[in-house]
Amino acid sequence: RVSSDGKPPKFQPPPKPVIIDRKTQKEERRFLSPEFIPPRGRTDPLKYYIERKDMIQRRKVFNIPEFYVGHVLAVTTADPYASDKSKRFVGICIQRGGKGLGATFVLRNVIEDQGVEICYELYSPRIQAIEVLKLEKRLDENLMYLRDALPEYSTFDVNMKPVPRMEHEEIPVNKLQVRMKPKPWSKRWERPKYNIKGIKFELPEHKMKAAQKWSQPWLEFDMLREYDTSKIEEKIRKELSEELEK
Amino acid sequence: MMPIWTKSGEKHAVTLLKVQDCHVLRYVSKEESGGKTAKLLVGGKNVSPFSKPESAHEIFKEAGVPRKQKVTTFNVTDDAIIKPGTPLYAAHFRPGQFVDVTAKTIGKGFQGVMKRWGFKGQPASHGQTKTHRRPGAISTNKAAKVYLGKKMPGKMGNIYRTSFGLKVWRINTKHDIIYVNGSVPGHTNCLVKVRDSKLPTYKDCNKNPPFPTFFADGDEELPEDLFDEEIFQFTDPSVTFA
Repeated sequence: RVSSDGKPPKFQPPPKPVIIDRKTQKEERRFLSPEFIPPRGRTDPLKYYIERKDMIQRRKVFNIPEFYVGHVLAVTTADPYASDKSKRFVGICIQRGGKGLGATFVLRNVIEDQGVEICYELYSPRIQAIEVLKLEKRLDENLMYLRDALPEYSTFDVNMKPVPRMEHEEIPVNKLQVRMKPKPWSKRWERPKYNIKGIKFELPEHKMKAAQKWSQPWLEFDMLREYDTSKIEEKIRKELSEELEK
Repeated sequence: MMPIWTKSGEKHAVTLLKVQDCHVLRYVSKEESGGKTAKLLVGGKNVSPFSKPESAHEIFKEAGVPRKQKVTTFNVTDDAIIKPGTPLYAAHFRPGQFVDVTAKTIGKGFQGVMKRWGFKGQPASHGQTKTHRRPGAISTNKAAKVYLGKKMPGKMGNIYRTSFGLKVWRINTKHDIIYVNGSVPGHTNCLVKVRDSKLPTYKDCNKNPPFPTFFADGDEELPEDLFDEEIFQFTDPSVTFA
């Protein structure tokens, strides 16, 4: 360096090391249930605020655990016609739909060679307990293709014991590629519209290429479809954490 | 619209209606209006005063109230007359009451006869020449004319329609919101007129309503939420069948 006034240069201390604390970074990745995020529309935000108050009220009394599509859950509901007045169903969550109080999730299981799917409402007062038996995410957010997959991929033991899990561990992603029954399927899962990564397509090459004819590559660049939820999510997370601590 | 659950676990769909700046504007006596009962003009939802001429502001200036988007009339008995200028709140209604809701339906524009009146149209194939959604015959030979009021294509929607006998499940006094059973005509955020039900089955349903209306500066202190007896409140534990 060029020294000023001919004097030796002033001592420059070395730059401070930047410590990236991995633990705090992990805590920032919090889970917000997807039914809290309001859809894009012209409804008054007051309506979503009031709905959220009701949802938080329900969550204070009844614990709704964090779960994603691909988890194996056991749900106990109240049933006036059962002998014990309650029913327990174990299944893999294939879809989470709905926003606000009407949020639903669909559990699928194969019982005695018969595929059974039950759609439960998260905030229904009939639900008495939701237990997460196995935590694992899958490659897709919608596992409806399990209907056309071999039944072994949808069978889960009804008396399964909950798999133990360490807290603050990342939820493992099961990169399982599912084998399908022969065509015809309920939906043409090979088409790019469904964007499924969890199927091992054993179709011939020309069929896979023909399916790409229905691809819409302009969709990812469509700016009118963008819905940035990061700021809304932050506000809702703050609201949730404040209310649940009370 | 939102789901609501009863204590027995049944789900009902509910529409939220917000009472936004409602004020009584004018009292019209029976002789003046020429009807059977006295009338009260009520206005709702404040709107900018600059888009209408001064002559249109007379009613609002007399009542001392900013300009309202919509002014409706309510037929009222002599003991239920309210002074012009009083604000009306959602607490005027109570859970368990039955209510009629009037609003302008969603406008669908010029529509054909199949959508507008539910005609069956004609088959898609088997030799039909250019005739799949047409009305077909419009009258008989003997009549030799088309009757007045014949169902034909035209502008559909954007007319006032009423849903009768809707139950009020819940009232939020803090935000002035009425939870009304079922669906209501009109699009989201449209203006709606809510009235006590005129159906004969619900004539004796109102037990001790706030009469003539709920006054905010009175002595009554209402909780933030008023629920119907059958509603499942989220503060209770899950429903069990004994």
